[in-house]
Amino acid sequence: MQGTDLKRLNDADQLIREIAAEFGLEFMPQEFDVVPAQKMLEIMAYRLPVNFSHWSFGRDYEIERTKFEHGYAVPYEVVFNSDPCRAYLIDTNPFPIQVLVMAHVYAHNDFMKNSRHFRNSRRDMITSAAAAAERFRAYEEDYGIDAVERLIDAGMAIQWNIDPTEHLHRQNEASVRDRLYGWDRQLPSRGPYNDVLPERPKATREEKRALQKRTPPEPTPDLLGYIIGHSPRPLAEWEKDVLSVIKNQAQYFLPYRQTKIMNEGWATYWHEQIVQRLFQEKFLSAEEHGYFNLYNARVKAHNPRSLNPYLLGHAIFKDVERRWNLGRFGPEYEETTDARTREEWDTGLGKGREKLFEVRRTHMDWFFVDEFLTREVVQDLDLYLYLEHEHPSYYEVVVEETGWKRVKQILVHSLMNSGIPRILITDGNYRNSLQLYMEHAYEGLPLHEEYARKTLELVHHLWDRPIHLQTREPVNDRTRDKLYTADESGVYVRRGGNS
Amino acid sequence: MAVVQPDYSSAPRGKTDAARHRHKVKEAIRQNLPDIVGDEAIITRKENQIVKVPIKGVKSYQFIHGRTGGEGGGFGSGESQRGKVIGRRPKQGQSQGGKPGGEPGTDYLETEIDIEEIIEMMLDDLGLPNLRRKQVRETVIPKGWTFDSVERTGIRPRLDKKRSIKEAIRRTETLVAVLMDQTGRSEQDCRRALAATQGDSTAALRLLESGTVLPPVSDEPEYLLESDDLRFRTITEDVEYQSNAVILAMMDVSGSMGTMKKYFARSFYFWMLSFLKTIYRKVEIRFISHTTEAKLVNEHEFFHKGESGGTKCASAYELTAELIDTEYSTSHWNVYPFHFSDGEDWDPYRTVEATKAVLGRQPAALGYGEIQTEYSASVLMKALEEGLGLGAVQDNGFLHYEGKYNETPILGVVLRSRDDLYPALRTFLKPDRGDLP
Repeated sequence: MQGTDLKRLNDADQLIREIAAEFGLEFMPQEFDVVPAQKMLEIMAYRLPVNFSHWSFGRDYEIERTKFEHGYAVPYEVVFNSDPCRAYLIDTNPFPIQVLVMAHVYAHNDFMKNSRHFRNSRRDMITSAAAAAERFRAYEEDYGIDAVERLIDAGMAIQWNIDPTEHLHRQNEASVRDRLYGWDRQLPSRGPYNDVLPERPKATREEKRALQKRTPPEPTPDLLGYIIGHSPRPLAEWEKDVLSVIKNQAQYFLPYRQTKIMNEGWATYWHEQIVQRLFQEKFLSAEEHGYFNLYNARVKAHNPRSLNPYLLGHAIFKDVERRWNLGRFGPEYEETTDARTREEWDTGLGKGREKLFEVRRTHMDWFFVDEFLTREVVQDLDLYLYLEHEHPSYYEVVVEETGWKRVKQILVHSLMNSGIPRILITDGNYRNSLQLYMEHAYEGLPLHEEYARKTLELVHHLWDRPIHLQTREPVNDRTRDKLYTADESGVYVRRGGNS
Repeated sequence: MAVVQPDYSSAPRGKTDAARHRHKVKEAIRQNLPDIVGDEAIITRKENQIVKVPIKGVKSYQFIHGRTGGEGGGFGSGESQRGKVIGRRPKQGQSQGGKPGGEPGTDYLETEIDIEEIIEMMLDDLGLPNLRRKQVRETVIPKGWTFDSVERTGIRPRLDKKRSIKEAIRRTETLVAVLMDQTGRSEQDCRRALAATQGDSTAALRLLESGTVLPPVSDEPEYLLESDDLRFRTITEDVEYQSNAVILAMMDVSGSMGTMKKYFARSFYFWMLSFLKTIYRKVEIRFISHTTEAKLVNEHEFFHKGESGGTKCASAYELTAELIDTEYSTSHWNVYPFHFSDGEDWDPYRTVEATKAVLGRQPAALGYGEIQTEYSASVLMKALEEGLGLGAVQDNGFLHYEGKYNETPILGVVLRSRDDLYPALRTFLKPDRGDLP
């Protein structure tokens, strides 16, 4: 890239920053690195600019490279929640795409600074991951690449089985026990709703005695955290370090997963607004603006077999803005059935933008969709649910459901817990012999058989003693208990009675 | 400035970890061999030995939801018509690319792989069938040259300098000792005398006896090379003996052999040749193309020239028989006649007779591949099946024909699609290694 281009990019950066601030976006200092495509593909695959080595990142790199070389490359944007906020631009992209990406990134920056779900994430993850990469390399030299790889395999298998609310109640086992005993040393902070919180009954003697021995004192979804602290293997310090790095990275990426639709919708909404201004102010030529429009259409393209978060998030934000401008919300509006009245509804409220800023601060995907996905948006976007019907040599993909209520209901459900099955460790000393007992909170969908077995093998590698996983599986119209057990000789399944 | 272009010249990490993944995915590539073997891009590739093959990545396991009724699903947008079919997804094992949904980590990716590596993977599966050690004459394979012995005469390029210098040193030291013994002068004087007389021992003796004081020559002892000192090496050719094998590749190039059929036949021979050239140091291959008449052609013509006209397969077998008689006597050679056609034959009975004539000469094995399409009028496989008493064998879902004529195994395959290429290769090139050293 030539120096003049870099200068024009810097001009664009300054202009975009001014326009974004004028719109009311609040962001951390922003930095852009212009990098070759190969480096960009690497960052996308490794999830962080410099990260530890693992074959799965190598695989993802080849997947990204394949997509890139076949030209499904949407204008790439990679942005990290760090302070200053770091983002990347591909050196070969044409100027209008760079501008699109930069405007988009400023909105992400604002989102990450202001969404409450990002508030507790570590903003030093970039440097911390680079340091971890160094340490892992040393471990590979000291303990062998295979041992390190096997450990990372196992850690990554349960990386998403973390406690999404961990930052809200940092606590150790002793304090959990105290709470369960009813001995809370610190009283909960006094708030306006304290009087409606249920009073916890004091534990009886029996309960206390049982509690003293129970580990974990109450079921925990934090599989990696519990294993790091309690594995009877026992884990060496370097192994705990590797697993902790994996856990911290998953924790860091969790808010991205929880707010994918919102975050991308927000950024798309604002890059359109900002680029429009750039064009009006004649910073972009008509030809460049045309180019932008072309790429912007690709950003918001329909996917027949997956939901495009840019498209859906943008459409919902637009709809929210319109409805809060016209006052189209609340019981009075909801209960109006007359199509014409609804069509002409306008209270002159004009609070669209205000509402947008409020929503981006508080919501995450599943309740964003639950609260704001309307019949109009579902119908505008022609959202549907598809199913695959089995044929002798292929699956036929068929549009199954277009009814807005049903589509929305299933979508919201699939967004909860980011689509990860909820698995809790209920006993770390099962049968009084340090076996691990886990329970799957069955919510209508069974575990994927092959994946469950292989994952259990990997977890067993971390725990070493036998491990168990209690779940359910559907049989005709009912479900029945299913218990997986993994030990050094393999994985077994026992099935219980119907219910 | 907030927009900067840092230097990212550090070693690319993606590639090294990709290699690690590729190592893991080897097994997957092996399972994909049938797909890869059928891939046109490989056969039509230019010089480049590296090809890109689509594979499925190794899965990253984690707890995920399964399906209730074995059917997957998801969300999409842009369609409002209920019941509309929006696509198909091939089942596993029958995939030809495309992106299966449902499970994570099953994205297709293209990985670069060396043809050699692919052939390496075939190695475990394939080899020449019924390869016998022929007693009378084995092919002599030159492995280069080795030095054999050292002689006093020879040509200059083969002068062994080290040996020659050694001889000179040995001779000079002996002379010095003899002179010291005879004259009683010091070692130094004797050396100087020898140097002064250019190594002439009689003159040196005379000089020493005359009692002349000799001028110092040099501190280092001096050695003079004489023609007696020169040593030369002789060389002989290094050879290895290996069983003779010749492939007589016959192919129908008549008008009825459409592009697709020729592609099958060529693919098959391409892989067979690449493969044989890799594992056997010396395999002779002769190319016979035929319409109603057969002729010997070179490799390029064989693969690139098409002709029109009718088909008499017998002509190819007759030419093969002739070649065996004149050049590749089966007492010296393992002869492998292979034939590909679409099964159209104006005179199948004559072909059966001609085939029997070839079999009567006891080749190592005989293979026939018939490329059938919906519309081809294939008669030859049927005729051979009846005429030679072949039996149908089902192996891993691939149907082929097997039989024996005297001691010669006969193999017949029917190719209907690209997916049949690899099984066909496996059928033809099923080694029985028992007889091999």
